[in-house]
Amino acid sequence: MMNNAYVAGVGMTRFCKMPERSFEEIGQEAVLKALKDAGVERDAIEEVFCGSALTGRSMGQRVLRDLGMTGRPITNVENACSSGSTALREACTAIAAGRAETVLVLGIDQLTRLGGGTIPGVETDLDPNLGMVMPALYAMRARRYMQETGATRVHLAKVAVKAHEGGQLNPYAQFRNPVTVEEVLASRMVADPFSLLMCCPTGDGAAAAVVTTKKKAAALGKKLIRVAGTALQSGLYKPGFRDLTRSELTERTAKLAYEQAGIGPEDVDLAEIHDAFVIAELMYYEALGFCPPGGAPAFLESGATRINGSKPVNPSGGLLCRGHPVGATGIAQVCEAVWHLRGEAGERQVEGAKVALTHCTGGGVSGLDHGSCAINILVA
Amino acid sequence: MTAPQPEGTEATKSPGIEYFPKSKPWRMADGALHLLGMRCPHCGAKAFPARSVCHACGRDDGMETVELVPTGTLYSFAEIHAAPKGFPTPYVIGFVDLDDGVRLLGQVEHRAAELGMDEKVQLVEGVIRTRGDGTKVVSYKFRRRSS
Repeated sequence: MMNNAYVAGVGMTRFCKMPERSFEEIGQEAVLKALKDAGVERDAIEEVFCGSALTGRSMGQRVLRDLGMTGRPITNVENACSSGSTALREACTAIAAGRAETVLVLGIDQLTRLGGGTIPGVETDLDPNLGMVMPALYAMRARRYMQETGATRVHLAKVAVKAHEGGQLNPYAQFRNPVTVEEVLASRMVADPFSLLMCCPTGDGAAAAVVTTKKKAAALGKKLIRVAGTALQSGLYKPGFRDLTRSELTERTAKLAYEQAGIGPEDVDLAEIHDAFVIAELMYYEALGFCPPGGAPAFLESGATRINGSKPVNPSGGLLCRGHPVGATGIAQVCEAVWHLRGEAGERQVEGAKVALTHCTGGGVSGLDHGSCAINILVA
Repeated sequence: MTAPQPEGTEATKSPGIEYFPKSKPWRMADGALHLLGMRCPHCGAKAFPARSVCHACGRDDGMETVELVPTGTLYSFAEIHAAPKGFPTPYVIGFVDLDDGVRLLGQVEHRAAELGMDEKVQLVEGVIRTRGDGTKVVSYKFRRRSS
């Protein structure tokens, strides 16, 4: 019932630090690009879902007001790092329910408004009060993962090196420079074992997509790209032992998404995954079924996940290099997927891509693996 | 909504000191810190902090407040060099599995280079951060067991 929505148009701003721009203007740029790409007028949009996590309230209305696009249902979605992906799922639901035929999805955040540093924790939660910060959560995963698999900090650094291989080819990426293992290891320490270049940067940006029915998408004349699977799950509460080297939440969400799409991990031609910190990419290779448990360091070193490899992951540069304006990330992944499926990804094109997977997970809630995980599977 | 706080010892208000959590849900005995957590009389689940509904079985009647064991094993740790204001960088935080099964996050009183995985640790009381006005925030933290 969920898999009859099609992505007809996408557009995004470059991800970077843009403190001189208003978030309204940043969001409007993405919206206008997506409408133009789809070839639809603003009046064709019947509903809007806007994902954002840290910038403000009524984000959709604030962005759309000056475009004359308020007056229709606008739903603002907050689901931490999965906000944008969750908004896409809601758009698919609105179409499946027959409530709307053409829906706009926007993802947006402007982290430079927060003044820099790590993302602030929620003050009523236990862990941030005791000194937890997001890089440290992943750093603890990394330390345990290294202990159990024999992976080293060089493996961690190689994830960042690969991210920059894609990012330097991506005009939308925050960082467009190559880096070496030595440079990654020598960058300043943030949360041992992570140095700065092992962590995604803070930045600003927006991404938008126009989602519609098969009939309307066909009439627009674009290559048909179907949202074949859209799955959302939340973390399970465990006040006791949890194996931090695995992501049970991503495994569970991926299983649902694969089932909906009627495919398996072997069918994925490219994946955009939530590499907020280097260890995350390794863990999610395993959780998404791209390699066996504990096999991620060897899988990375084999070159399989590079743009020309057998299972390209994050050709955009991922969160590490394209950047991570939290609510925008899920839709930026959808933009990247659509460009590859259409053959429009330029120098970083994954040749012949027909199936793309996007994966977001995050939201530090004490006692949970993560707050949420959202996986979307797009098929050309 | 804030979680119901356990009935701990009355927080003693000293000048320039505050406790986290504010209800000070622990007791000191024999130099060790015993946290007060929940035990469900129906299914036996334990959790910290205490609460009135069991997360495991869903029952909301008769939850007991019990002392958790003060010793455990360090599952993993990270040394933090970039932190919100007031935290004493660099500092180490870790996940500790108490010997009765409850996992806690907390600061560890050592540098990362001095620590090993799966080390035995015990709960102690100590300063975890200093507020802008000089107020010391005191909470539970971990120390290597000397034995």
